[in-house]
Amino acid sequence: MVFADSPGYSAASAAEHSGNAGVACALGQWLSATAAFTWQPASNDFSASAQLSEILGLKSSERPKFTTLLSRVHPEDVAAFRARLAHPGAGDITYELRLLLPDRTIRLVRVVWRATSDAADREIQGAIQDVTQLRECEAALAQARSDLAYAARVMSLGALSASIAHEIKQPLSGIITNAGTCLRMLAADPPDFAGARETARRTLRDGNRASAVITRLRALFTQKTVSGERVDLNEVAQEAITLALGDLHHRQITVRTQLSEELAPLRADRIQLHQVILNLILNAADAMADIEDHPRQLLICTQPAGPDRVQLSVVDTGTGLPAPETRLFEPFYTTKSDGMGIGLSISRAIIESHGGRLWASANQGPGATFCFCIPCNPRNPVPAPAFDPALANSTAPARAGAALW
Amino acid sequence: MISCAFVSVVDDDESVRESLPDLLRALGYAVRVYSSAEDFLDSEQVQNTQCLILDVLLHGMRGPELIRRLAARSVAVPIIYITAHADEELRARLLREGAVACLFKPFSDTALITALHSAIQVGGLN
Repeated sequence: MVFADSPGYSAASAAEHSGNAGVACALGQWLSATAAFTWQPASNDFSASAQLSEILGLKSSERPKFTTLLSRVHPEDVAAFRARLAHPGAGDITYELRLLLPDRTIRLVRVVWRATSDAADREIQGAIQDVTQLRECEAALAQARSDLAYAARVMSLGALSASIAHEIKQPLSGIITNAGTCLRMLAADPPDFAGARETARRTLRDGNRASAVITRLRALFTQKTVSGERVDLNEVAQEAITLALGDLHHRQITVRTQLSEELAPLRADRIQLHQVILNLILNAADAMADIEDHPRQLLICTQPAGPDRVQLSVVDTGTGLPAPETRLFEPFYTTKSDGMGIGLSISRAIIESHGGRLWASANQGPGATFCFCIPCNPRNPVPAPAFDPALANSTAPARAGAALW
Repeated sequence: MISCAFVSVVDDDESVRESLPDLLRALGYAVRVYSSAEDFLDSEQVQNTQCLILDVLLHGMRGPELIRRLAARSVAVPIIYITAHADEELRARLLREGAVACLFKPFSDTALITALHSAIQVGGLN
């Protein structure tokens, strides 16, 4: 038989049963990494199938005693295990337990047992299954899922930025070409006033076209908030942090949370809040990218703000706020070399469409704090202020290197 | 400046189709504009074109396909690509493939003039 040479499956394990049924049973135990056992506390009479040696990291010829099993239980789990032995419970009892093997590896086992009710003459019959690999696979799967969700979210931000950039650059290209043409027509001898007037008119139209792109963009982010679902801000914050955690660790940023347990639930668009919180976290992380002389720390707090409002703050130890900080929230204002300058503008539009407020302040020490505060039941959500093209005209994309998208 | 060289512009964006010809005319070029590669190929100006200003991401037929069709008709026209996607890798690839220049929108008129001069020079050598 193929399995006869495999570690953990031996003739001995088959021999404890008789005939083909015994072989199948031993094989099944080996394949599922499960050992069967019985134990009588009064007499300390213990017997187990051969698979237990494998689970406890013994040679297959070694027959474990009950004390061997007990000695392999992880020190932190011993007390709980002993308590269970003293009170084995009624019916089928299932629990998980850590083992610490002599080579310091930790195994996670699932124990299922049934005890006879007579305390004096009690017998416990059960099975021990090694679920280490199973749990590791589950953890890896959960991690992969979380990484995927994070990548999708960040990519959607990236893809969004790229498509907005494309939409804006087309009319911008027209504006710059028209302005150049206009100057040339005026400088010609004789000046071409009619031509210059026409190009100036087209410059205006392209300017309006660019601002219409922004207006549509804001509409996109503010249209769905009326039908908000019931949302726990702490939960959304935790989810956003979990999504970003791998990235933050990679960037050597430590994350702390102070989440108030006294928050009222609110009606909001969960995905949009995710987006805002994630944006604030990533901005904070970017602002700490070049910090070497003090720890890169991120603190995320939630707290009630009055009887019917909740507040979330993202505190970093980064480069702080640029001056003048009031421009932070203007569209296309950025201090990043690869930023679009739309993250905070969109975030503010989202928060305002929830009837709330988003603001920034400098810390006492290094870094900055970004906060938003939203009402729990926005009866009359404040609409986001209409886009002001005049504002956009005064804010050409700045390029330096610090904090914002 | 070489006067009255003939330039064709192919771009599916209206702002560019309206603004670029005026600038080119102000610079002394003769210009025709097309909103698609197909329109340009169907026109009678293919043989006359001394420089082709081509948007990279056209809807319908893309730039490389247009170049293949031109080659099939033995038309070797210098190409200036223009694009709203600031992608350096794309620019490097287009230049390797023989483009005279690749300008990221929005581009300055001086950048355009430099590219046009190179294009007309390349065309003259051909």
